[in-house]
Amino acid sequence: MRGVDTELVKRAQHGDKDAFGLIATDLATRFLAVSRRILRDIDLAQDATQQALVSIWRELPQLRDPARFDAWSYRILVHACYAEGRRARTWSPNLRVLPTDEPAALGGVDTVIHRDELETAIRRLSVDHRTVLVLHHYADIPAERVAQILDVPVGTVHSRLHHAMRAMRAALDADERPAAKEAFR
Amino acid sequence: MTTDHDPRTRVVLSWLREEAHENAESVLLRALDEVDTTPQRRRSARTDTYAKLIAAAAAVLVVAVIGYQFLPGSGGVAGQPSIAPSPRPMLVASGTFRAKGAPVELDATGAGDSVTGTMTVGEATEGFTVDLECTLTAKDGRILIGGDTTESTMSWVTKGGFSAIVLKPGSPMHAVFGSESDAPSATSCLAFLEGIVDQPFTTDIGDGALEPITGTVQLGP
Repeated sequence: MRGVDTELVKRAQHGDKDAFGLIATDLATRFLAVSRRILRDIDLAQDATQQALVSIWRELPQLRDPARFDAWSYRILVHACYAEGRRARTWSPNLRVLPTDEPAALGGVDTVIHRDELETAIRRLSVDHRTVLVLHHYADIPAERVAQILDVPVGTVHSRLHHAMRAMRAALDADERPAAKEAFR
Repeated sequence: MTTDHDPRTRVVLSWLREEAHENAESVLLRALDEVDTTPQRRRSARTDTYAKLIAAAAAVLVVAVIGYQFLPGSGGVAGQPSIAPSPRPMLVASGTFRAKGAPVELDATGAGDSVTGTMTVGEATEGFTVDLECTLTAKDGRILIGGDTTESTMSWVTKGGFSAIVLKPGSPMHAVFGSESDAPSATSCLAFLEGIVDQPFTTDIGDGALEPITGTVQLGP
């Protein structure tokens, strides 16, 4: 997890908007990438990122230890993602695969072949499971830090990671058994 | 971040780490615009809030203790020896209705952390079932009923986690659902309800928050 300059955090805590602008510039791209992978929707991810940045500004004076800014700010982002995810809840089937706008040439042949199955599988995961998967495997945050961010025991993080990866791998297995898959339609 | 050599894991991680070229500039500009008009919340304000909450809780406790002294059979100053009536389950809420577009069956009796009953939301193919355990009434009259999620086919509701319904009495009554992710650090049902009772999605009315229900819900006293 890349650290934000503690001095900038202290200045922003005292209301320095220029300092906060530098922090926000540093966070925005990372936050948007993480929230998009959790929420699986660019519009929701943009809203979550915007809300997180504004909340960070508003709540900064409450942060007692500026050295803990990174974990604290990720926690705010995760809460914003949960809030946006809740806003998007519908009772129509939510397992449809939306057209991807990600470049097809990236990620290798294997990834292209399995993209639809993986997208379906990750949408089937709860937001809790998606969040640990993204924070750990995409944002490269160690499990212990993920536990701090989510305010859950580290064992819970490992458990969710295990469950999430098992479900994602199973999606690839399912893809290799088209006849069986067809039989359940 | 992984030592797993399973080739399927490699495919999953490769896919997860694909670059998507998100453009954060517009988000950043919108956020900074909003920051310009957003005051920071100073620590002293929070301390004041906590002090008020503690004072309010203390006042409630004093009233409850004094009130208990005057209950018949309580052994207090006005108590009279009597045969204790057999306890009757106290209704919290019961009804069959639609909330947030989903069919809901709710039946909850009891009080505090001694609630029994179930809530079924949605259908077998898309829904969840909650073994109800606790209830909380907010200062503004909203009723929160929560418990352990025993079944779920919804992506945002975790089986084994806490889930709740929040009912706002009125005409029409409003409702919204909460799930484990809304208060992930809660270690008990009541702590979960306390964790969501002041969150905007349970206090506000609108998309993503409380919305009118159709049908009727019978509420307890």
